[in-house]
Amino acid sequence: MIRWNRLPLSIRVAWRELQAIATSYSVLLVLVGGVFVYGLLYNYMYAPNVVREVPVAVVDHSHTALSRQYVRWLDATPDVAVAYELPDMVAAKSLMTQGEVFGILYLPRDFATLFYEGRPSVYPFYASTDAFLYYEAMERANLLVMEAMDGDYRTTLLPFLSLQGLAAVATQSPVTVVGTALYNPIEGYGVYLIPSVLMIIIFQTLMMLIAMMSGRERQQRLLAPYACLRSNHTRLALSLVWGKSLTYGMLYGVFSLFLMGALPLIFDIPHAASGLSLTVLLVPYIFSTSFLGLALSRWYTDPEAPILFIAFFSIGLIFLSGVSFPLELMPWYWCAVHYIIPAAPATLAFVKLSAMEASLRDIAPELIALCMQTVAYFLLAVAVYRRKLKCRYSSPHEKG
Amino acid sequence: MDNICNDARVTPPWEGQGGGPLLRELHRMTSRRIYLVAAVVLPLFLIAFMATIFGTGQMEHIPIGVVDADNTASSRSVVRNIAAVPTFEVRHHYADDATARAAVQRKDIYGYLSIPPRFEADMLRGEGATLSYYYHYALLAVGGEVMSAFEQALIPVRMAPIVVEAVTLGSTEESIETFLLPMTSDDHALYNPSLNYSTYLTLPIFYIMFQILVLLVTLYAIGSERKEGCSHSWLASAHGNILVALTGKLLPYTLLFICEALLANVVFFYWVGIPFAGDMCLFSLLTVIFVLATQSVAVLLYTLLPALSFVISIVSMVGSLGATLSGLTFPLPAMHPIVQYAALLFPVRHFTVAMQQIVYSDAGFAACSSSLAVLCLFPLVALLLLPRLRRILHVCPHDTLE
Repeated sequence: MIRWNRLPLSIRVAWRELQAIATSYSVLLVLVGGVFVYGLLYNYMYAPNVVREVPVAVVDHSHTALSRQYVRWLDATPDVAVAYELPDMVAAKSLMTQGEVFGILYLPRDFATLFYEGRPSVYPFYASTDAFLYYEAMERANLLVMEAMDGDYRTTLLPFLSLQGLAAVATQSPVTVVGTALYNPIEGYGVYLIPSVLMIIIFQTLMMLIAMMSGRERQQRLLAPYACLRSNHTRLALSLVWGKSLTYGMLYGVFSLFLMGALPLIFDIPHAASGLSLTVLLVPYIFSTSFLGLALSRWYTDPEAPILFIAFFSIGLIFLSGVSFPLELMPWYWCAVHYIIPAAPATLAFVKLSAMEASLRDIAPELIALCMQTVAYFLLAVAVYRRKLKCRYSSPHEKG
Repeated sequence: MDNICNDARVTPPWEGQGGGPLLRELHRMTSRRIYLVAAVVLPLFLIAFMATIFGTGQMEHIPIGVVDADNTASSRSVVRNIAAVPTFEVRHHYADDATARAAVQRKDIYGYLSIPPRFEADMLRGEGATLSYYYHYALLAVGGEVMSAFEQALIPVRMAPIVVEAVTLGSTEESIETFLLPMTSDDHALYNPSLNYSTYLTLPIFYIMFQILVLLVTLYAIGSERKEGCSHSWLASAHGNILVALTGKLLPYTLLFICEALLANVVFFYWVGIPFAGDMCLFSLLTVIFVLATQSVAVLLYTLLPALSFVISIVSMVGSLGATLSGLTFPLPAMHPIVQYAALLFPVRHFTVAMQQIVYSDAGFAACSSSLAVLCLFPLVALLLLPRLRRILHVCPHDTLE
């Protein structure tokens, strides 16, 4: 039989914390909803991964076989669908304003005439930038069709070419340019975003969990029994911080198995990271987040208020992590913030590990930042808990 | 903690004077720091955050690398062309592809150009020289920019051997170029010709984050009444009229949020310099209706699930979904139909649609009227459920669920 009082204080704290988590519906809701539902939902939402068949309008004033061929080929690309063929630009523009189409191809009256006269035939393509993914898809499709048409119809222009030109075409060949997308073979948006979202989910739900637990601890004076142990306040604070973090670490170890182990298999998102490197990243990440949450609990007066702040910052963290807009182009002060909040470097490191097959050496800067944060926030959390014990429970009146 | 209704030291100014719920709420607001921080400091911080996070907003000077295994005049000329592109900053010249690839892995560079050995020789002999470039697509936003910059910069290089040969033989450059590219598309990126990230994201992301705050503060303001056991005192301050009680309670926040949103518009359009083509009055109207609709959703959700600790954590997660469901980054029509329908329940989706119409295409009232109408539906539905809220406050004044 376990002799409960003989166990180290931190283990007892960890057990109490686990009991408190397991018996609180709202906390369980955050964990189940935040980790499991949220994890599945985000994957489901981004599962289509690529943008296909962007609707565009065509205004064909040329009315020739050449222009019809262009429109047919544009429609045949996977990226674009010709949704409307309209008589004028006014109608096309109005459809664009209504959000029915996202691009307009205008083939002018002299489109084919100029071409068959051996003169450059230039035609405009208007693409809206409402969503950059749409813009890129339309630009890509139009470029593809332009190159294909040019290649296919070029031979009909041979009579216009001088002898010297003919000689050059016969003896020379163009340089082939090949672009390769690294680390995202299906070029999917979900493949890019989901790893970051998973890391932010860990951060957000863990911070919420700690906020709810600490808020209630303060409201219901749950630290009082520990203060009565009359031991050294610093040692007591050490045991409290370590014990609580142990529980959070164990819980999130299990959750990480779901988020980083099961989800990538179900939804086919990148999972190139080895178990060892993931563990080396997640241990400092979860502990630094846990210590940060406990350090911030100095200001948590009730279980609900801190959630306002935590939820608010979650989207900003995606930007601060540098996976969306490059860190190199951000102002220096936001780059500095990147290294202060655990979620930012950890997200970047996780993307490197899972999508880019990076080794531990490649994520060294992020790991160092996380380890430094772990130490700093641990000391801060201990100081905060020491202060809580000292200020609130050493005298009979709570100072609040 | 401060508990206004039970605190005997405070003489509530609204009691006996008919001051109503508005005065009561103002007193509550000023008695706890959380309201000030969440309703004033955070929105101002958010404005500053969104105004500065993207720097200039332009994807310029993105670090890339070059592997020049040929080291000839032609290859150096290609490298010089690449280095001159404003999107790029050639950070390093690598000896081989493996080291360049390792640098991409470390995220030191976001892509590299690889010029194979014998590039010049193949080009001069007309044997089909090849240029390869690689871009980082695990970081898709930057990768996309790097790819299109490479494509643009290498267009002249593609046809260079034929053009050079033809010109050398005595043909004109114009005639050979017309032969090679007879049909040329003139691409126009509407509304945002320089594809500036700040222009694209600053305003919508501000409102996505702002609506999370509006939802949560409104929920907290209402929910904390029952949590602290003050529902009866709140209702009493409005003589039992739930509409007056709720209006008085939420009015200070509504006014604060509207002022902050309008301030954000001014900062973004006039100071950050986001192009604005539309009617400012219409956009301000949209902003006001959006704030009201978002607050209504908070009231609605609390009425349906009157337990603060539950509903606040649900809303904090649902609010973040607004970023996805607004269809800003990944377009909504590309998602599963069920997700598209779910998005209709989010005011932020209707706001984003109307906002893009007004800000980008100078759409008038008629074009965005459907979005405005749907946004107006949210307060109506919340109004319909007010009797239920009154019953909850009256019959079960204490929220003890945890």
